Amino acid sequence: MNAIILSAILGVVLMFTGIFTTNKSTIRAVAVGGILLLLLANIAELRGVEFFDINTRGMLVFTKLGLLFNTIAFGATLLYFLLSARDVLEVGDNGADYFALIFFILCGVSIVSSFNTLLLLFLGIEIISIPLYILTGSDKRNLKSNEAALKYFLMGSFSTGIMLMGIVLMYGARGTFSIDPTLQIANAGRDVWYTSGLLLLFISMAFKVSAAPFHFWTPDVYDGAPTVFTSFMATIVKAAVFIAFCRLFEFSYSNSGYDWKLIVAVVIAATLLIGNITAIFQQSVKRMLAYSSIAQAGFMLFALFSTSSLSREGIILYSLGYSLATIGVFAVLIKMKDYTFEGFNGLARTQPVLAATTAIFLLSLAGIPMTIGFFAKYFMLASAVKTGTYLWLVILAIICAAISVYYYFRVIQAMYFKEGAGETVAISSVFRWLLILVAGLIILFGIFPNMILNYLYF
Amino acid sequence: MNITEILFWLLTAVALGGALLVVTSKNPVYSVLALIATFFALSGHYILLNAQFLAVVNLIVYAGAIMVLFLFVIMLMNLNTETEPQKNKWLKLAGTIAGGCFLLVLVAALRDADSKSTMALIGEGDTGLIQNLGKALFNEYVIPFEISSVLFLSAMVGAVVLGKK
Repeated sequence: MNAIILSAILGVVLMFTGIFTTNKSTIRAVAVGGILLLLLANIAELRGVEFFDINTRGMLVFTKLGLLFNTIAFGATLLYFLLSARDVLEVGDNGADYFALIFFILCGVSIVSSFNTLLLLFLGIEIISIPLYILTGSDKRNLKSNEAALKYFLMGSFSTGIMLMGIVLMYGARGTFSIDPTLQIANAGRDVWYTSGLLLLFISMAFKVSAAPFHFWTPDVYDGAPTVFTSFMATIVKAAVFIAFCRLFEFSYSNSGYDWKLIVAVVIAATLLIGNITAIFQQSVKRMLAYSSIAQAGFMLFALFSTSSLSREGIILYSLGYSLATIGVFAVLIKMKDYTFEGFNGLARTQPVLAATTAIFLLSLAGIPMTIGFFAKYFMLASAVKTGTYLWLVILAIICAAISVYYYFRVIQAMYFKEGAGETVAISSVFRWLLILVAGLIILFGIFPNMILNYLYF
Repeated sequence: MNITEILFWLLTAVALGGALLVVTSKNPVYSVLALIATFFALSGHYILLNAQFLAVVNLIVYAGAIMVLFLFVIMLMNLNTETEPQKNKWLKLAGTIAGGCFLLVLVAALRDADSKSTMALIGEGDTGLIQNLGKALFNEYVIPFEISSVLFLSAMVGAVVLGKK
């Protein structure tokens, strides 16, 4: 509850900061201070200190998994603010409002990581989505940004409609919005309502995490949105929706009396294949990262496939590793003058620190050992192997991971082995040190993943 | 046949006729007007079921706000039969199959629904009254109610961000 209330308040605070000052460094300082406060408040709750005593009537349940995920999301946002806050302010004239919207999104993130009723799932997803539509279109003079925002808004609203239809059917079947099986009343003959409602919910959530075949909006929206906001969208938001997805299906799977494994397996296979194979043919690094985020979603979907303690550990590691690495890559990408692969040519010579850290981020995304990306993929696949079925899916995932190495290494190859100027905008030394910090975290958690996972249990 | 039944059949006829007109009429403006008539008839049904709040909200939100928006969009786009785009016949076929599948699913789901055993409360029952709704909203559902304020606030901030020069 700390995080939900505090993030909403911080959103309002940033709105008012925008009224009283237009000084960019003040706004930045308030935003960074705010996220730091939010992070500390959430860690306090993880340690059992609640600032507000509110009876939620079982509508919000704060589990270790949800709180730990909040901590990761807020920590990643802190790094994101430190790395890219300057670029957020440069998108348009309403700098403080963009930060306010980001804080509202974080409020939605902390709702979906702890919801216990479908009503709050819906509200949380909407609180995440609506500010995102705005942020996508925030570059008002750019036609591509406008197009992306409209596309995202129309398709997003459509998927929201599908989600509502699913919620209605599930309410009709069980007489309650709660996802807790003990509170639900089984009505004879209405199981099919429950199953079809859950299927509609599955479709709309798969849309939000851009799993194939509901991924068509992703490349255009990620490509059209201002790059700073793409970075936020592709990492923290996506991981949050995955946590919601896992929470929803943890209870509802077994409760629906229907074997979901085949449907999930087909969606995973399609997502992995489409994401990885299309990513190979991209010429722009930004668009390649959009497809790579689809491919990574395929791996995260394994948490739904095998709902076990191993997969819960996996999704935590995955959201951490994926968020850190992608935020890092995007932070570097924003500084590049040319977003194509050629733009990275010879970066190792002009900006050795940027090139080295980007290489580490990409290695982590590809899942090379010694980085956190390796353990994230390992936990996901291990949990799938332990279910003992659908071995072909695991093999397919490994092949796809091998394919992904190709397009990630293309960037590394361009940076280290090709001649070119590798032009960037001016880079401050603080930015370099921050990149080194992020890369260091990736390697640290890659060697000691238990440093994070221990918090799930103690 | 008492007055309630006569009203029921009348409203049903208007609702179904309006819904049919929505899909059959060639002129999109007529479609929208027919849709408004359908919404009015549905609101009448809600009143018959003693759900006054739902009836009023249905009128204000759907027949009022959303349909006006619809009309504006259609008039701005200046749609008429001459500018109607030629639709691909495969697209039509795909649409028919998808719609047919959806109908099949709906029929399968509703076939053994127990709608016959529970009669609707007509002219009595107080579930739909504003008093009860308010009580439920501020007791049982107070958390979602308060949280939705964040949603509206973020939508307002967004509107300002997009609307400001």
